[in-house]
Amino acid sequence: MTVMRRRSSAVKRPIVRRLIIWIGFPLLLVYAAVAVTNYVQSSRAAVERMNSYLLELTNHHAAVLDSRFKAISQTPLIIAENIEAMRLLNEPRLYDLMERRLAIDPGIFGMSISFEPYALDPGRERCSPRVFRSAGGLERAGTAGLEAYHTADWYLIPELLKSSYWTEPYYSAEGGNALMCTFSHPFFREGAFAGVVTADISLAELDKTMRGIEIISGYTFLVGRSGTFISHPNPDFVMRESLFSLAEMLDRPDLRAIGKNMIRGRQGVIAFKDLNTGEKSWMVYTPIPTCRWTFAAVIPEDRILAPVKAQLIRQVILMAMGLAGILAVIVWAAYGITNPLRKLAAFAGRISSGDLTGRIEGIRGKDEIQELAGVLNQMVGDLNQYIRDFAAATKAKESVESELRIARQIQESLLPRVFPPFPDRTEFDLYAKNAPAKDVAGDFYDFFFLDEDHLAVLIADVSGKGVPAALFMAVNRTLMKTVCRKGVGPAESLRAANEILSRDNDACMFTTMFLAVFNARTGGLTYANAGHNPPVIVSRDRTLRTLESMGDVFLGVETGVSYHEGRTRLEPGDLLMLYTDGVTEAAAPDGSFFGEERLAGFMAERRDDALSAIWGRLAADLDEFQKGSQFDDITVVLLRRNE
Amino acid sequence: MRVRLRSKAAAGFLLGMGLLSIGLPAAAPAGESPDSLVLQVQWFPQAQFAGYLMAREKGIFAAEGLNVEIRFSDEHTSPLTEVFEGRADFCTAWISQTLTLDRPVVNICQVLQKSSLMLVAKTESGILQPEDMNGRTVAIWGGDFSIQPTAFFRKFNIKPVLVPQSYNIDAFAVGACDVTSAMYYNEYNKIYLSGIDQEELVPFFFSDYGLNFPEDGVYCTRETYETRPDVCRKMRRAVLKGWEYAAGHQEETLDVLMDYCASYHVRTNRAHQKWMLTVVLQAVVYGVGSDPAGWGVLRRDDFRRVAEELKRQGFIQVVPAYEDFARE
Repeated sequence: MTVMRRRSSAVKRPIVRRLIIWIGFPLLLVYAAVAVTNYVQSSRAAVERMNSYLLELTNHHAAVLDSRFKAISQTPLIIAENIEAMRLLNEPRLYDLMERRLAIDPGIFGMSISFEPYALDPGRERCSPRVFRSAGGLERAGTAGLEAYHTADWYLIPELLKSSYWTEPYYSAEGGNALMCTFSHPFFREGAFAGVVTADISLAELDKTMRGIEIISGYTFLVGRSGTFISHPNPDFVMRESLFSLAEMLDRPDLRAIGKNMIRGRQGVIAFKDLNTGEKSWMVYTPIPTCRWTFAAVIPEDRILAPVKAQLIRQVILMAMGLAGILAVIVWAAYGITNPLRKLAAFAGRISSGDLTGRIEGIRGKDEIQELAGVLNQMVGDLNQYIRDFAAATKAKESVESELRIARQIQESLLPRVFPPFPDRTEFDLYAKNAPAKDVAGDFYDFFFLDEDHLAVLIADVSGKGVPAALFMAVNRTLMKTVCRKGVGPAESLRAANEILSRDNDACMFTTMFLAVFNARTGGLTYANAGHNPPVIVSRDRTLRTLESMGDVFLGVETGVSYHEGRTRLEPGDLLMLYTDGVTEAAAPDGSFFGEERLAGFMAERRDDALSAIWGRLAADLDEFQKGSQFDDITVVLLRRNE
Repeated sequence: MRVRLRSKAAAGFLLGMGLLSIGLPAAAPAGESPDSLVLQVQWFPQAQFAGYLMAREKGIFAAEGLNVEIRFSDEHTSPLTEVFEGRADFCTAWISQTLTLDRPVVNICQVLQKSSLMLVAKTESGILQPEDMNGRTVAIWGGDFSIQPTAFFRKFNIKPVLVPQSYNIDAFAVGACDVTSAMYYNEYNKIYLSGIDQEELVPFFFSDYGLNFPEDGVYCTRETYETRPDVCRKMRRAVLKGWEYAAGHQEETLDVLMDYCASYHVRTNRAHQKWMLTVVLQAVVYGVGSDPAGWGVLRRDDFRRVAEELKRQGFIQVVPAYEDFARE
């Protein structure tokens, strides 16, 4: 379990996190983009909607105001017509006329009928009867204090224009102590300008109307023909500032541009920084055609966008909830994948630690993970089967090996192992040793007396290794005991053995063999060689002789083969050495062989040692040469004729 | 008495004129002590009187040992009449007004050296030079304000259709006349502040046509001058120092002015007063340089030019001696 825990904590980037990063973040970005786009579009749409609504609203209010101005302007037109038609004019009639009009038209603050010099009364230069509303009802005012009326705009401009005129707002003390605007219409008598009829509208009344106009959290104002504020929530502006003076004072060229549009009677919707609050706002303005004023409304953009912002917040909340939901699903799905994966990882960990007892259970579904679990379970089953098979195989191998050990013991027991073998024979010393590479070697040696004097000595190397080689060797050895008889030469013995071995040799095994018959009395040595390594003789003076091969073939290969026989003599002190290729072909780790030369050198050096010591020394040298990794059997037979 | 003192200086802003009399205590006896004086200016509070107001507000009069009360006028008040009738000790007036009086007055300080009176046409009217006004409708103010235009028309042999002009420029703005009279420091800017750009206007400054009539100066009766010459000298010194202060502290001066305008219910705005102060200060230094030491002089050729034009137009029979008119 500790292994498992270490594994799971080693997961530095869990799948859950990656899924959240790969899916959650892009989703968040998409949501954000959608929200921003939505907001931008909705605010644009809201502003457009609001602006067209405001335009309608201002148009409506402007139209209402315009109708008031129009209504007021009707009265002077009618009176002017009357005056032009009247033959006889006198002041009382004019007062009466005006009072009757004022009584029926509450929108008019005051009226006057002003004449050119001596036009009404040849005895009076200035004549301008006036009636206006006061706290005590309608009040008549004469010309007193208004002697200069002929230079007033309400008189002068219609005279010059020869048409009616709405004045800019002005204060009149004598005319009713009020701020007012005057509509003035000229009349003519006998084709000449004779005076004007006027009707006034009170600005106080107008302002009351303006303040009564509700515009969604904004405000409205009126601007006169020259850009002066006639009505504005900021009383300091009214009749003092104009859009143009504010443009100068606040260094706002935009105000001058707006003002110019207004005085040209244009309509407009513009983004506008509010003069009082500095808030980003929208201004909608529209002309009042009759008096050529402008009605305007200013709405802070915040108010317009408030519903859009509320919608944005709702949308963001919804999106956040959606995102949270999706993240929950991602986490759930990820754990649906990673939980089985963790189980699998833990299971695999147990497998790697050698626990093959379990099965992984509880992984549902028909997906890849379930498949992986199936494969893992299958693998565990297979592994168990392999282990069982392997155990059985090992057991089988162990039993074979144990049999081989037994075979080895048998084989060893077959070879003469007691030295000196003939303690009562002093003419020679004999020593032989087999160091097998495998448990059961293919090399063997043997020696036995054919009669009192003749000693048969042989060394052989059976092809192959292991049990077959050992069995073949046993057969060989037994066979050699049979074919080597007194009076039969080594060549004949080999020939006879070959005939037997070659026949029915289905296993195609063969043997190299050197066979010598040593006359212990004379030192004579006859020998035959069936493809074996040529033995060497080291004489007393340490010269070496090799009993060269005579080109004869191995035993067991083909029938009808004859072998050559060689003869030599061991002088007293000569040492004959028979060996298998395990000696000369002993290989060093670098691939070089021990070789015949090295062997010859060794023999020349050691020839005087005791035979068992020579073996011991040679075995040690070979071991050192091969660095302990013996590949082939090493078998040596040493025979020294004593002096 | 031929006294027409109706300055058009604040013509566009006169809507509160009735309220203005608050600042004008009627018939207050002037000069009860040698130091207590009344200076009557031509119109409501505005930048035209910045120097006098600053001399009072900054204690410059007081430093000269003078206790000066500044009184404003409305269309029914004539500063010169106030002086003659003893309700004021000093007043501001134009040379063209004071030369035509049948009672002698003394100019103790000629504050404005340059005439601000002008004619203005719209570019679109095609009136680009004086001769173009022939046969066109020209609105002019009456009285003293008609002297320069009359001379101007004669000089260029123009016969326009003259119509009277009200206190403001509405008739001009709506096209009821082709040319209008204006004070450069006032109506000209009023036109601009009603949305007509300067490029759309053709100005005719009388001072550019050899008709520079210096305007505001400080006057007192000859009697006052002869009995209290010391007070007159102090008055002159303080007035010029007041103008020097206004020139050096224009924003502060505007603050003071706007306070005055508010107290007297003058319907104006700071942008306009700023323009007026700038232009009036230009008139103070015109021809005499920016060094205050040279200010306040009535130059002889200016005096002669005005007097001779008045004589030519029949307002006076004899050109008076400069020395009798102006004293320093």
